[in-house]
Amino acid sequence: MNPSTALVSVRDLRVVHQRAGFGPVRHVVAVDGISFDVARGETLALVGESGSGKTSAARALLRLIDTAGGSISYDGIDLLALRGEQLRVHRKRMQVVFQDPYSSLNPRHSVATIVGEGLIVHGLARGAAIEHRVVQLLEEVGLGADDLHRLPRELSGGQRQRVAIARALAVDPEFLVLDEAVSALDVTTQAQVLALIARLRDSRKLTCLFIAHNLAVVQQVATNIAVMYRGRIVEQAPCAQLFTRPSHEYTRALLDAVPAGDPRQRRIRTPTSAT
Amino acid sequence: MTPLLSVEGLRVAYRSSAGERRAVDDVSFAINPREIVALVGESGSGKSSVGLSTMGILPDNARVGPGSAIRFEGRDLLTLPEPAMRDLRGRRMAMVFQDPAAALNPVMRVGDQVAEVALVHGERDRRKARDAAIDMLTRVGLPDAATQYRSWPHELSGGMRQRVMLAIALLLKPALVIADEPTSALDVTIQAQVLRLLVELQREFGMAVLFITHDLGVVAETCDRAIVMQRGRLVESASVDDLFHAPQHPYTRELLAAMPRLDRAP
Repeated sequence: MNPSTALVSVRDLRVVHQRAGFGPVRHVVAVDGISFDVARGETLALVGESGSGKTSAARALLRLIDTAGGSISYDGIDLLALRGEQLRVHRKRMQVVFQDPYSSLNPRHSVATIVGEGLIVHGLARGAAIEHRVVQLLEEVGLGADDLHRLPRELSGGQRQRVAIARALAVDPEFLVLDEAVSALDVTTQAQVLALIARLRDSRKLTCLFIAHNLAVVQQVATNIAVMYRGRIVEQAPCAQLFTRPSHEYTRALLDAVPAGDPRQRRIRTPTSAT
Repeated sequence: MTPLLSVEGLRVAYRSSAGERRAVDDVSFAINPREIVALVGESGSGKSSVGLSTMGILPDNARVGPGSAIRFEGRDLLTLPEPAMRDLRGRRMAMVFQDPAAALNPVMRVGDQVAEVALVHGERDRRKARDAAIDMLTRVGLPDAATQYRSWPHELSGGMRQRVMLAIALLLKPALVIADEPTSALDVTIQAQVLRLLVELQREFGMAVLFITHDLGVVAETCDRAIVMQRGRLVESASVDDLFHAPQHPYTRELLAAMPRLDRAP
């Protein structure tokens, strides 16, 4: 892809975590030189298992953690060079939804406060306009004015994740990172939230980075897929191609691990393996 | 065939400051020896309460309704005194939970947690208990089990911790294992490995499994029959083949439609 058409362009990104404990500090290379582009309007899925580095890569991209090398260009801006006020203003353009809405929503804040905070911080609304805007956002994610004064613990897992999405959308971002945003949900709720994400992406023309470990979930939303294994991207392809013609052994292992969803096509408990 | 486990008219309610909430409402089903039966439902469907009732480990604010019975190997577990239940747990029936990080004791070496099962069930020779634990840890695929015996839970990956949980549950080769979302917290690749292991061990030890899950993909891969629960009630009970190819209840069809599959067009 021509980098000039990409909204986000990552080159040779490295992230190294320091593990402090007893004895000497250990260094763990979480992301080991990865490169990818995300074109405007595209949804790139970053897929891999726990420890593959996908979340570290996303956090580096969001400037939540430090990088150990490489470059990130965002709409032509050198993202890693942004400091202080410049970075703060830039954060409005890229938002994130985390996996666990139990730990990513402040348990003492009402839905109104959680969703409205970004509007206040970025000076997007004031006074009565805040609540009006929050209600609009809640309606956009399938909630409503009735939910304004509820606390996170009064909501179901799916509702919490809708609040997290409304919070991310409050500042009207163009780039949304979804870090295992549906992995902790029940299957029917997962399907509903996935459908919501796809709808919002289209209506708001969002560019997305969708992080997941299950290729079957990714298939429903991704345009392109990058498969990560041990800190590196081992395969990168358009969605359809990756599913029909996976080229890397690890991609095939990931595909084989997804249950077929039909007892007649079992792979785990086959007639020969079970009496 | 006499069923190994038979749940009859089970009702469970939880008391709280807000009143009483019914979690399980007149649920009946049976499991034969050596059978793998799925108990399918979503958060709040009551499926875990069925498992906890069977093990006799419901929380203090739970109440089992009159007329409920859970028969296991000829005895009604709901009327069994606690010492008799304690004797059954770990020996004749065992449970594997979703989150091994929470279920394992964080300040006890993993091997000792496996050996403990033998010790509380009458083994007096500590060395024999230890050897049995090492054998079982080897069987569940913990590499170099004799050394890993001394590991702490936090030193193991999620998949390895769940293997340790299986070793604890299976040490005394129980007739029934209740597995409550045993792979839901694992990555798909690790999930496939742990499921393969569970199915192998089930065949090897000839145990029955009550597999509690919200994931029909996992059910299709591993189970003989399935029971579907919604809001405390049993809505469908069928062989897995019928459940997937001729689902009767609208809720079952909804669950099937929501299941992430690879063969569905994006």
